[in-house]
Amino acid sequence: MTAHVSRTRHLDPELDLTIQRVIRAPKQALWNAWTTPDQLAQWWIPAPLKLRVDALELAPGGAFVTRMSEDGTEWHPHVDAVFLVIEEGSRLVFTNGVSSSWHPALPDPVAMTTEIILGDHPEGTDYQAVVRHGSPEQRARHEELGFFDGWGTVTDQLAAAVE
Amino acid sequence: MVKYSDELDAMFSALADPTRRSVIARLGAGPASVGELARPLSISLPSFMKHVRSLESCGLIRTEKSGRVRTCVLNHDRLGLLSSWLEEQRRIWEDSTDRLERFVTTGSAQPAHPKEES
Repeated sequence: MTAHVSRTRHLDPELDLTIQRVIRAPKQALWNAWTTPDQLAQWWIPAPLKLRVDALELAPGGAFVTRMSEDGTEWHPHVDAVFLVIEEGSRLVFTNGVSSSWHPALPDPVAMTTEIILGDHPEGTDYQAVVRHGSPEQRARHEELGFFDGWGTVTDQLAAAVE
Repeated sequence: MVKYSDELDAMFSALADPTRRSVIARLGAGPASVGELARPLSISLPSFMKHVRSLESCGLIRTEKSGRVRTCVLNHDRLGLLSSWLEEQRRIWEDSTDRLERFVTTGSAQPAHPKEES
């Protein structure tokens, strides 16, 4: 199965997480915030934690490595990932299912693929983050008709069971 | 949450398969026997049993054998663990997106009024 960048990919509303909002800033400002190490370090993790960007190679297969610290002296692993797709100014995709050295990884707590999409919007930027969890290679190739209705029932019952 | 990491891994890989997800969805409506669950699926009973074992080993379902019938029951607690983990992930991503938004609109990721970040 050859992957094509423009292919619409399977999205599982139960396991994948989507954040979408309009941010009143130009696309380029958001792109820079994600792709410039000293900018990324300023917002990605909450203060007082500190973030250090060790590698940010903006190309498919490029390394994406960050470390975090509570005191600025002892640095702990944070993200060790590779970029899958880079579309300058509008889209970046990275996964920690493969490490920056291209070894298949079993990251903690689970493997995830993060896709950041910047779209045009009259008030600024249509910002979207899609985080896919689980094993992408085992994903269903198409949505199971009726599956989500059934799953909704499970979730409703779960809610009823814990309320 | 780190202590749940292996359990979450096992659940995610169990749920990455459409057959197993359809089993979970069906069990949401109540317990069912292996035979009942396998009937609508076009796979052999031995292959289906592998799916059942995978769901059982990660704790998403329990099975009980009575005579010749094995009944599968959904384990709501495990599903709850998955839901709360996903909720936590959502909160982490919403928070970091809030910081990104503040950073690109005000030049600082810190809230103007510190009490905003609970």
